[in-house]
Amino acid sequence: MADFVGLQEAVINGKLPVATQLTQEMLDAGVAPGDIVNEGLIPGMLVVGDRFRNNEFYVPEVLIAARAMKGAMALVKPHLKEGDVPTLATVAIGTVQGDLHDIGKNLVAMMLEGAGFRVHDLGVDVAPEKFIEACVEQGATVVALSALLTTTMPNIARTIEALKEAGMKDQVKVIIGGAPVTQAYADEIGADGYSPDAGSCVDMLKALVSA
Amino acid sequence: MDRNFYLDLAASGLRMPIAADLVLHEQEDPEAIARDGAALGAVIIATAERFGTPLAFPLMDLRLEKEWLLSGLGVPAEQIDAYHFTSGPGAAELAALPGILDGALTPRLTASLDALRHVAANSEKVPVGMVIGPYSLATKLLADPITATYLLAYDPEDPDAQALAAALSLAVGLVERSAALQVAAGARAVIVCEPAASVQFLSPKQLEDVPELLDRAVMDNLRRVRAAIVDGGADFILHDCGELNETLLRAFATLEPVILSLGSPVDLPTVTEWIPKSVVLFGNLPSKSFYSDAAITTDGVRAASEELTARMAATGHPFILGSECDVLSVPGHEERIMAKVLALAGR
Repeated sequence: MADFVGLQEAVINGKLPVATQLTQEMLDAGVAPGDIVNEGLIPGMLVVGDRFRNNEFYVPEVLIAARAMKGAMALVKPHLKEGDVPTLATVAIGTVQGDLHDIGKNLVAMMLEGAGFRVHDLGVDVAPEKFIEACVEQGATVVALSALLTTTMPNIARTIEALKEAGMKDQVKVIIGGAPVTQAYADEIGADGYSPDAGSCVDMLKALVSA
Repeated sequence: MDRNFYLDLAASGLRMPIAADLVLHEQEDPEAIARDGAALGAVIIATAERFGTPLAFPLMDLRLEKEWLLSGLGVPAEQIDAYHFTSGPGAAELAALPGILDGALTPRLTASLDALRHVAANSEKVPVGMVIGPYSLATKLLADPITATYLLAYDPEDPDAQALAAALSLAVGLVERSAALQVAAGARAVIVCEPAASVQFLSPKQLEDVPELLDRAVMDNLRRVRAAIVDGGADFILHDCGELNETLLRAFATLEPVILSLGSPVDLPTVTEWIPKSVVLFGNLPSKSFYSDAAITTDGVRAASEELTARMAATGHPFILGSECDVLSVPGHEERIMAKVLALAGR
């Protein structure tokens, strides 16, 4: 019988060698790749998200868990067929133009990926047109914008304006976050969602895409 | 200077925003001024005069030492801000460091040194230098410094941990030299900005499991930088606007800065028991939110100033009210931010 609990624990505790070993053993034993993801990896990352939200885990524990998950996913991915792992939505995420900070953005990306979203990470210093391209080419229906600095935060609004000008704002949900960003700012610039931290971002986006 | 200088400032009820960036962006060409030492020095003096602060704080530009290193290693200028080592750094970069330290400075670093000389020569204000902390600089050299720090704690032979160790060696060499150059240029105090030394990068679990990690990643190098500053005859100020816990704050206190500047994630009155009374606590109104009236109004800044001052007075700990970090100019919000900084300064 597949040791899904062991795999979950390996992800939760960030044990990359254990996670990859268990995953390989399951694949060798003929366990369905979708089950490895849905019963092992994603539940593990959901626990990580919960612990992060409850201040039991901090950023390093989340990153090291995500590293274990990614290592295991790299083994599973070649075996996955369409429909094996349900995708909640495709998210184009990036830190806005002029801003090079990526910790918060990376954390949100990992949390979303761990919760079953397909994440297309555009990196840092991302121009508005790159987000538009990602929506068109990657089929992203969610645009996630991050800014750490008050000086670059206005580029969140500029990106939303660019989406409007491209006629795409009504087709995507825009979520925003970052140290200086507030719910009031999100309301002011017409963002669809705001989250004060990576942990609560998953619940916020799940609610947003199911509305 | 005598530590009593700072204690006296605290006792006098000084309010001291750090806001050279705001005044810089009132000028016609801020970027040109940032590369012109005399002009930058004039902005720093004007800032100290406008807010009535005896200390002339510079821009908190945490890019200077990274730019110095990477330009010395031949990284094209347009790539420097976003540059991370993909493998390493390692032996080649460490071998290149002495040549970089003895080679040409970057225009912005030269301007910051000239600005210190200008402040020293043209005002009665105390010229304050600024360097990034070695750990914070090292994190800017790696794509995933948090995982590397984790591995430094639990698997120091891992290549990512080794890369961080090398990055730390590079960083401390650069920061020590930068601090020494600034002291030689006239800085009578140097503020060391170490915002990455926070629970975001060093989790409480890690600090508990592997206590020596804090020394290895942060404290040993801060001690070296402190020595470079103090041995040069200047005062050591420590700034960390990150989220901190008791372990980190107690460690910082052992460095005995003349001022410990903390960000708004720390509730100052609740941490005074961990900080000796010889260390002036400084901060920490939420100036990163000053752009937004929804977050805090000008009247709210006045009220928060009074409240924090009163709470700190009740603790009996030496305290200077200030911003939580360098107050940055936000396009379209300049007047609103300035009004709040003036309110903080009691002007």
